[in-house]
Amino acid sequence: MSAFKRDKKEEEDGGGNPFQNIEKTTVLQEARVFNDTTINNRKCTHILTKLLYLLNQGEQLGTKEATDVFFSMTKLFQSKDVILRRMVYLGIKELSSIADDVIIVTSSLTKDMTGKEDLYRAAAIRALCSITDATMLQSIERYMKQAIVDRNSAVSSAALVSSLHMTKLAPEVVKRWVNEAQEAVNSDNIMVQYHALGLLYHIRKTDRLAVTKLVAKLTRMSLKSPYAVCMLIRITAKLLEEEDSGNDSPLFEFIESCLRHKSEMVVYEAAHAIVNLKRTTSRELAPAISVLQLFCGSPKPTLRFAAVRTLNQVAISHPAAVTACNLDLENLITDANRSIATLAITTLLKTGAESSVDRLMKQIASFVSEISDEFKVVVVQAIRALALKFPRKHSVLMNFLSAMLRDEGGLEYKASIADTIITIIEDNPEAKEAGLAHLCEFIEDCEHTSLAVRILHLLGKEGPRTKQPSRCIRFIYNRVILENPTVRAAAVSAMAQFGATCPDLLENIQVLLARCQMDSDDEVRDRATYYSSILGQQDKSLYNNYILETLQVSIPSLERSLKEYTQSPSDQPFDIKTVPIATIPTREETELEKHKAEGMIISNGPAKPAVVSREENFAEKLSAIPGIAELGPLFKSSDVVELTESETEYFVRCIKHCFTNHVVLQFDCLNTLSDQLLEEVRVQLDPSEGYSVLKEIPCPKLPYNETGTTYVVLRFPENDLPNSVGTFGAVLKFIVKDCDPNTGLPDTDEGYDDEYMLEDLEITLGDQIQKINKANWAAAWDEAAPLCVEMEDTYSLSSMSTLEEAVKNIIQFLGLQPAERSDKVPEGKTTHTLLLAGMFRGGIDILVRAKLALADGVTMQLTVRSTDGDVAELITSTVG
Amino acid sequence: MGLFTKFVYLLGVRKKEVNVLVVGLNNSGKSTVVNHFKNEEERVSEIVPTVGFSVERFQNQNLAFTAFDMSGHGRYRDLWEHYYKDCHGIIFVVDSSDRLRLVVVKEELDLLLQHPDICNRKLPILFFANKMDCKDALSSVKIAAGLGLDKIMDKPWHIAASNALTGEGLQEGVEWLTQQIRDVILSKN
Ligand SMILES: Nc1nc2c(ncn2[C@@H]2O[C@H](COP(=O)(O)OP(=O)(O)OP(=O)(O)O)[C@@H](O)[C@H]2O)c(=O)[nH]1
Ligand SMILES: [Mg+2]
Repeated sequence: MSAFKRDKKEEEDGGGNPFQNIEKTTVLQEARVFNDTTINNRKCTHILTKLLYLLNQGEQLGTKEATDVFFSMTKLFQSKDVILRRMVYLGIKELSSIADDVIIVTSSLTKDMTGKEDLYRAAAIRALCSITDATMLQSIERYMKQAIVDRNSAVSSAALVSSLHMTKLAPEVVKRWVNEAQEAVNSDNIMVQYHALGLLYHIRKTDRLAVTKLVAKLTRMSLKSPYAVCMLIRITAKLLEEEDSGNDSPLFEFIESCLRHKSEMVVYEAAHAIVNLKRTTSRELAPAISVLQLFCGSPKPTLRFAAVRTLNQVAISHPAAVTACNLDLENLITDANRSIATLAITTLLKTGAESSVDRLMKQIASFVSEISDEFKVVVVQAIRALALKFPRKHSVLMNFLSAMLRDEGGLEYKASIADTIITIIEDNPEAKEAGLAHLCEFIEDCEHTSLAVRILHLLGKEGPRTKQPSRCIRFIYNRVILENPTVRAAAVSAMAQFGATCPDLLENIQVLLARCQMDSDDEVRDRATYYSSILGQQDKSLYNNYILETLQVSIPSLERSLKEYTQSPSDQPFDIKTVPIATIPTREETELEKHKAEGMIISNGPAKPAVVSREENFAEKLSAIPGIAELGPLFKSSDVVELTESETEYFVRCIKHCFTNHVVLQFDCLNTLSDQLLEEVRVQLDPSEGYSVLKEIPCPKLPYNETGTTYVVLRFPENDLPNSVGTFGAVLKFIVKDCDPNTGLPDTDEGYDDEYMLEDLEITLGDQIQKINKANWAAAWDEAAPLCVEMEDTYSLSSMSTLEEAVKNIIQFLGLQPAERSDKVPEGKTTHTLLLAGMFRGGIDILVRAKLALADGVTMQLTVRSTDGDVAELITSTVG
Repeated sequence: MGLFTKFVYLLGVRKKEVNVLVVGLNNSGKSTVVNHFKNEEERVSEIVPTVGFSVERFQNQNLAFTAFDMSGHGRYRDLWEHYYKDCHGIIFVVDSSDRLRLVVVKEELDLLLQHPDICNRKLPILFFANKMDCKDALSSVKIAAGLGLDKIMDKPWHIAASNALTGEGLQEGVEWLTQQIRDVILSKN
């Protein structure tokens, strides 16, 4: 104890860490003593500790360095010192991914794992799993199977967990260990049972039927391990979510029965599962909520935390049920554990009445500086929800947010505040001026480059449309003087937006841009020169195309196309129309993204790589198929359409890939009959008028439980746009070979022809249209007037009863992108104008304005402007 | 260093520790040979092909041997060299009934002898012409000729016919190796 105290004191002095000043080269040098004939155990252990410390601090070793030290380390296997050996195992695990030829220790490890020394066995298995690759797995298979059912629980657990890791490299091999895993599920040891269930589920999880059987069996068996029961609850909940059976199913009964389990962990898990099930109704919710309510009053902080966190997560989806816990939550506001207090308050904020907002916000303000960034993010999310619910409270909330912005905090925290302010601005026009003003102030001392760039971009977009655009410009120009090149460049772009949108500011902007052309950074100068010369032309259409609208193409695709172009020079100029258009996330996707983060107290990890569009992904796959590469660039891939019921003998789904003059139909077929092997699987189409089938690419073999793909290439009707929208009959044709369900091998070589009716397939207007984001739709519309053909018609949409419904259906039908947030219908309005933009295959621009009025159904006046008259006509005629 | 150990050290009673490397093609019987040198109670009943290497210990007279029993499989032969530097002797096991691969054995032996960590050292090499019980086994003389052992001038070497299953011939060989290593150590001190 006294030693511990001293350590702590030293740590405060900064001198407590004996490893603070060690260096990679020195340690690698010292590691040479591993090669000595006589091993000094203590010394070697110490050196290995240092090495592990360095690696865990993120020190990088080159392959040669790592291999050298790895082989030196292998010589330590001659020592019998238990501590040293276990350090060697750790060293092997750390270096296994960097050093070459790590399989050299395989025999040494299998010897330890099967040997008499129990202290070695489990750790040796874990090390063995880290050095084994798919080709080597066979040679250790026998030992792994034995270890899984070993009497020693540590050995068994290690083998099970290692097997789980190894499914990543050789799923087929690990599948063969299912009997051993099954046996281990019956173990008396709680960890072994849990790990065994984990492995068993992992092996079977792609096979719905097997999972169902597993769950049915285990739910009746009453597992001993609470961990295993928790896992079983999760599996069951997932199954319930996928299944369409009602809540009286035995699966749900099992979860509900776990609410009465003797282990608190299991009770919590069950409650958590029930409140998160999508279909849960208030009747089933009640017992789960009362359990959580009970936990809110528990003396154990972990239980209080778990309960309040779960309530927080479901506060939006089940407000009434959560409100029932208000009293308990109020008690937690002053909880000594700040994390619990924060979650309690934010939950109350989410469900509370407008009148309680001020009181709760004051409460949070009293300790917001004491909580960690992660919890501050939770507070920010609650404020976002609140602002959307009570638009009138925007000034209180906005002030609170701007105060938080001024405090210290990490990027994620600051970004979430900025995001929230942006959401509020977008949602509530009244909050816009104030919100932008707060953001202007914030960038005055924002230390996060990426955030500053985002805000500058937003100011460029929204600032010109405020009452006093000139106010923003001062803030933006300050960035040009004070910031790093990245921010300066963003500021230049933002200023250009003002120049292009506000004629009376143009002169001033030109002066500022002229100054920026003297900048020391290339990018800043280039942008300033570019914008200045475009603004100098005084041409509205240039403004629209080169300043206000940004590039619509997918950036990764553009990069790839340009690279290909430079590698195979041609006389043709590069055509940007051949580059796939960037996918625009739908509102639902964005919402889902936000919802996912809601109440989560985990960081999102490293930033994801640039999103590649669906088309980009498919294009790569399709271009590998002979006959498809010649069709030109892929324009659009449709959503998946199911052509069979999901529980039938053959499950067929279709994706429609649209090219300039062709459509490729991709049929993904799943064979669910274990006693049949299908061959030469293809889809025979009965195409509608004008279409011609150019090619069929059958799927040569389709074994049980596998998905195979067959394609059909068609040509769109030539010079006959109206017929490009049509319905095809479809039949699945194949040769059946009966086979043994156990081996999957056919009984005979002889097969027989068979066929299976599929549902009709439609080629729609939307399949041929790609969404385009227009930041400034009105400008594009005006500009299009002289260049485009305009078509107009009036329709009565009698089946629609609300404007929202009409808007949703029109967007879906036409496959166009809504602009200027016109897809949101303000509450209580009886008329609305929907603005849409997109592109028809072949690069034909489309702009659509739909004026909607609610009166006994919805009446719509649709105006289409397109560079091609036939396309415009096609749209007005198909809507009818 | 404790008083007792110091004493022991001065008197030279403490066992000297030496490392030997056991090499040869796969299936030649290396692991079986090493297994035989171990105490009866430490022996394993079943021997499987080695993957990488395995460390075994045994004693002869008052030398404590640490044997690095390497895998002879083609994929791993390149890894032998990592263990050349610090060994005091080499045991090279040849399957005398595998006439077909004797050329491969010679190739590997030549590579070993030319290796920078070996070529300039006076390392003793013990050859076992193993599996002498097989009916088409070559004699140790024929093996020595086939491998061109007579051309090894700068290193003490010895060849013994052996049967690793019964242990026949093994003791003779290891006695020779012990003597050689002891001479080297004595001459150094
Ligand atoms: N008849 C006979 N068989 C032997 C003799 N020595 C070993 N074997 C057998 O030869 C086979 C291979 O022996 P191992 O000791 O595994 O050979 P190894 O050289 O270690 O092989 P790797 O580890 O793969 O390099 C085994 O089946 C042994 O039983 C022997 O003297 N006579
Ligand atoms: Mg061996």
